[in-house]
Amino acid sequence: MANLQNIRRRIRSVKSIQKITNAMDMIARSRFNAARDTLLSNIPYVDKTREILKRIMAQMNASEASSTFVMTRQELIDAQSRTDGKFLFLVIAADKGLAGAYSSNVIKEAHETIEYDGTSPSVSEAEDNENFHQKIFDALKNAGVDGDQLRAQKGIAKAGGRRSTSTANLSVAKEYHDADYIEGIELITVGRKATSHFKQRGYNIIKSYHGISERPNYHYAKEIADLIVERFLTGEIIDVTMIYTRFNSAISCTPDDVTLLPIITDDYAASVGAKEEYIYEPDVVSVLNDFLPRRIATRIYGAMLHSAAAELSSRMNAMSNATDNAQELVGKLNLYYNKVRQAGITNEINEIVGGANALE
Amino acid sequence: MATIRLEVVSPDCGEIFAKDIDMLIVRSTAGELGILPRHARLLTELLPYPIRIKEGASESLVAVGGGFMEVTPELITILADSAELPEMIDVDRAQASRKRAEERIAQYKQAQKDSLIDIHRAEAALARAKARLLVKNIPIN
Repeated sequence: MANLQNIRRRIRSVKSIQKITNAMDMIARSRFNAARDTLLSNIPYVDKTREILKRIMAQMNASEASSTFVMTRQELIDAQSRTDGKFLFLVIAADKGLAGAYSSNVIKEAHETIEYDGTSPSVSEAEDNENFHQKIFDALKNAGVDGDQLRAQKGIAKAGGRRSTSTANLSVAKEYHDADYIEGIELITVGRKATSHFKQRGYNIIKSYHGISERPNYHYAKEIADLIVERFLTGEIIDVTMIYTRFNSAISCTPDDVTLLPIITDDYAASVGAKEEYIYEPDVVSVLNDFLPRRIATRIYGAMLHSAAAELSSRMNAMSNATDNAQELVGKLNLYYNKVRQAGITNEINEIVGGANALE
Repeated sequence: MATIRLEVVSPDCGEIFAKDIDMLIVRSTAGELGILPRHARLLTELLPYPIRIKEGASESLVAVGGGFMEVTPELITILADSAELPEMIDVDRAQASRKRAEERIAQYKQAQKDSLIDIHRAEAALARAKARLLVKNIPIN
């Protein structure tokens, strides 16, 4: 027979866990409200920046794309002989756990993007899709002669080849002992969860940011953007993709990929008919060289705000579920406790009655 | 008469201004620009300065703390680093930040050039504060 004291102890511990989860729920809720407000007032700015970028790129002639950040697909293919051809990924996840599947979802998405090797079909080409990484990869793959491929691409192809023959897991970089795969992929991580995940698997993390995931600051977005631009301008990096969580609503958050650099004019040109050229004051190169890095910082900041709101809403949901479950468990335990107690009393009465009967 | 739509957005406050207007006057890095409806497509960087918006006979000001402006024949979009309507501006705060920036610039000029003061930041702050005061019709000299 179950021990009454043990059950009592269990009920008490479930109740105190419930108190903690409830408190965490309320904290997440109040932070979430703040994060959502910041996000909502930032969304128009990011959207407008993107619309402008789209319009400019649609009107831009390949010949006048003299900014280093803008190129045609052909130029990109030509550029691979001059660069080291590494890929850079920016992964934005959480600092802390207890947020349901939030971090693991974004990390899963990151793995899918990083390990894309052209063998699986490309993602759907939705109108508002900002992920050009796979297109860039495919273009480079189709153009590359064997042995003349990009470093990262070679690494991924090799790793992919080995995946089919061995049981090794592609997402564990160090299992491959392949310099091209490890060195060819650079990561910038935001949030401890992302850092520890990729570090454990032997990925090459060039910089990580901690303690900013819940309350992003434009200052950090600027710093990351500067780093990305610097790496891109040295010619080591050929493609920069950001993976973050998009906040759609309090119950729907989806991981999303955005290619930050390079900007391929071919991807935009198709969307318009007649060209109407832009006037740039003072001139095209200086305006674009100011505007495009700014757009990257803006995009990263927006993504950080999205991620923060998504993280807090996931935590809110996870914690309120935990509180509800604890409540249910306490109810069940109470019922069980009473049953056991009653069974004990009945038993005692039976014994007494039995004893009295025996004396007669 | 034809009008042109003006939209001003900032990273912190979202859409500040969205209306059909008759004319817009801004100060860009290349000089003062007046934009009328059906202007050619244009992209430029703005300096921290009030933008002047003309609707009919009235003229209103919005403080813009630098940013970018894109013009298409029907739409002007201003991506402002910060933007405030006159009623959103706290004059005391603007005066205080102007004073602070001026002091910092004065210190910078006195001290060695390699001092810790970020001169670009101080100058930008001063320009922003001045733009705010101008919108409130306060003389800045």
